[in-house]
Amino acid sequence: MPEFATLASPYSMPAALHGDVDLSDPEAKTQTRALNQFLAGVELKAFKIAQAALRHEDDALDAVQDAMLQLARAYAGRPAEEWKPLFYRILENRIRDMQRRRTVRGRVMAWLPGRADDEDDDYDPIAQAASSEPQPVRQLELDEAVGALDAALKKLPPRQQQAFLLRTLEGLDVAETALAMGCSEGSVKTHYFRAVQALRAQLGELL
Amino acid sequence: MSAADEVSQFERNARLVLEEGVRRIDARTRSRLNQARHAALEAAGTRRRSWWSGLTLMPAAGAATAALLVAFVLWQRAPQVAPPATLDAPHAAIEDVDLLTDADSIDLMEGWDGFYEWAAAQSDGNGESDG
Repeated sequence: MPEFATLASPYSMPAALHGDVDLSDPEAKTQTRALNQFLAGVELKAFKIAQAALRHEDDALDAVQDAMLQLARAYAGRPAEEWKPLFYRILENRIRDMQRRRTVRGRVMAWLPGRADDEDDDYDPIAQAASSEPQPVRQLELDEAVGALDAALKKLPPRQQQAFLLRTLEGLDVAETALAMGCSEGSVKTHYFRAVQALRAQLGELL
Repeated sequence: MSAADEVSQFERNARLVLEEGVRRIDARTRSRLNQARHAALEAAGTRRRSWWSGLTLMPAAGAATAALLVAFVLWQRAPQVAPPATLDAPHAAIEDVDLLTDADSIDLMEGWDGFYEWAAAQSDGNGESDG
């Protein structure tokens, strides 16, 4: 932009002005822009996937944030085509770690009276219920479908749930899903097929 | 409609519903995700800059390594220049000079001659008494 070019010459400005990113390096600028674009494109879907697996908003946010940090720190230099499966692989590992920790914590908390159900304290059935305000029929149907699909996804085994969300929501192909899940392509196909069968059995009339 | 087509239709509908769920993510969550993204980008920038700053220290590190290498090579080669056999020679010469210049030592050594004669006589005497 020409108006910014007149503010100061390159010789009078320090190399890094924006945080720690060296803005004078065009390659770094391009990579940062590409990484920003990639993360902005996946963050909402990644959050939904983490939320479906962890059933907890804050935990899902933490998992996505950790995955973003790890990708940026360790794999930003890798080709951009590899970022998506790598990112979801990191996210999957993070989700598993959190689930494992939660299981251990649940076992410990089970020994303490009145503390075992703290995990579900944030769940408010009234807030989750559909609004009573008049809405178009289509909107009501969509509300119902979103809620029913969320509920049905939560009932799926974790690997089926992950395979279904990565393939359907994120649009990864079988090979990318296998890389993200850390399993063979055959396993992905099996998990996905079973997930679709189970969801169709529950939601066939609705979707 | 075949079973495969039904599954495809189901998947298409499921995808639409899932995307609707994504669209409904509230502003607070979107804001937190945005912050997380910027934190990640900053972390990537820090790492990149650390790499460059490490590069600027390379000449100094290289010079120090070269100096250490030269010192090590010189240290390794030093014992090979002087032959080990000659190491004790100066010490031996000094001891000989001490013996030659010290009058007491020579007297003592001369006195030892008498001792050996006396010891031999004692030995002969004992042999006779024994036999």
